[in-house]
Amino acid sequence: MVSFRGVTKRYGAVRAVDGIDLELHPGETVALLGPNGAGKSSTLDLLLGLRAPDSGTVDLFGTTPQRAIAQGRVGAMLQSGGLMQGVKVRELVGLARDLHPRAYPLDAILRAADLTDLADRMVDKLSGGQQQRVRFALATAGANDLIVLDEPTTGMDVSARQAFWGTMRAQAAAGRTVLFATHYLEEADAIADRVIVLHRGTVLADGTATEIKARAGARRIAFDLDTAVDGAALRALPALTALEVSGRTVRIQSHDADATVHAVYGLGLYPRNLEVAGLGLEQAFLALTAATDDATAGEAGR
Amino acid sequence: MTTLILLEIRRALRNKKFMFFSVIYPPGLYLIIAGGADGARMPGMRLDMGMYYMVAMAAFGAMTAVLLGNAEQIAKERELGWVRQLRLTALPGRGYVGAKIAAAATVSLPSIVLVLLAGAVVKGVRLEVWQWAAIALSTWLGSFVFAALGVAIGYLATGDAVRPISMLCYFGLAFLGGLWMPLTILPQWVQNLADYVPTHAYAALGTAIEGGTGPHPKDVAVLLVYLALFVSGAAWLYRKDTRKA
Repeated sequence: MVSFRGVTKRYGAVRAVDGIDLELHPGETVALLGPNGAGKSSTLDLLLGLRAPDSGTVDLFGTTPQRAIAQGRVGAMLQSGGLMQGVKVRELVGLARDLHPRAYPLDAILRAADLTDLADRMVDKLSGGQQQRVRFALATAGANDLIVLDEPTTGMDVSARQAFWGTMRAQAAAGRTVLFATHYLEEADAIADRVIVLHRGTVLADGTATEIKARAGARRIAFDLDTAVDGAALRALPALTALEVSGRTVRIQSHDADATVHAVYGLGLYPRNLEVAGLGLEQAFLALTAATDDATAGEAGR
Repeated sequence: MTTLILLEIRRALRNKKFMFFSVIYPPGLYLIIAGGADGARMPGMRLDMGMYYMVAMAAFGAMTAVLLGNAEQIAKERELGWVRQLRLTALPGRGYVGAKIAAAATVSLPSIVLVLLAGAVVKGVRLEVWQWAAIALSTWLGSFVFAALGVAIGYLATGDAVRPISMLCYFGLAFLGGLWMPLTILPQWVQNLADYVPTHAYAALGTAIEGGTGPHPKDVAVLLVYLALFVSGAAWLYRKDTRKA
């Protein structure tokens, strides 16, 4: 229903989007993850037809982004999206309803965005988090098949954030596709059933949060040894993705912790204070992007 | 689309500064300028000051509302990202510009009527019924030329540049069009040049009607050419903005 084929976009010498192929499916909740400058916002701009790709095609529901939007199939909330000034919240949401071919009732939209009490306030007088909720209300004023959110919970407090994701889960459960860019990795971990990691304008990883963690070396193993040990022997351990020896403390990242720990005993070592823990998505993400940066730096050096 | 127009109008009515400059200011200025010299002939014209300035100020007021209002608002809303947000709704691309022009034109109408009312009640201007109606209608229709110019400026400039550019156009056009003082007191070459300034043709619509005839075809033609020029310029700038922003 959403597809990117060989999409590129450059601004001057910067390749913001460097050959992206993607498919999104109905009912998916997809997180778009990446460090600043990874191409998240550019990708969303291309998806929404706000910018045209230099090459490749972006297809929404079998047509162009502009047409899909005109048909009321897409709701979007952008960081860069501003609000009309000098109007009341109720009036602005009313406008969004009027422009949407399949609008929800006004009270329902206001309730879902937790704006009922603010309906008669002027938009200009709202706090950042409250304005963010108004943007959300505009993006969900009608029955969209695809909802695109760029850093949606920026400026929201914890309870507003929870309420927000509650609403989004309900949208996804109703068969809508939700695509959101975020830098809150715990949000991606907790909410998305698919995580796409962007880095330097390319798709670095695409899978469930668990898969991404596994790819990056999902387990962290740490232990102390009685005596200093030869690093070379440890480096030969199976399933190892990273090794750090400081004094008698050893820290390992492994994609198969059972095999690695077994092999540690096999070396005749006796690890004390052994800890085996899962990596968070954040660490996985850092490991993934750092690995590519190392690889490119290596290539450049050759 | 209708909701957007209504909302734009309601918002304009709430904006006291905008309302002052577009509705109260033109009739006020008219009474001040034409105040002292009742019945005095305009130099080199058959009209008296009350009649001349009534038309000139009606044109000036309408231009204030549509040109300054549109230029500044569009530039500001582009910067805020509201235009971008609207582009993500089912509103067709032309809808935003259309609503802006429609709303500005709605606000300019009361200012035109107030100037004419001040002319009739305070300055004792007497005209046939058809002349009143024709002046109001032609001044209102003519204001669309400047609404389009306002849209073009709004898409051309951003931030701090908008006000100087729109003010330069506004004052330049008002002066060269003879809206503040008749051009007959200026050198002949300025008068020759002014024949092709849109505001001059704009005010000439009204003065011709006051003289008892319909608007001159030449003035109508000049305005139509400018309308085409400003509309296509605005459309081109809008498309450029869509590709970039």
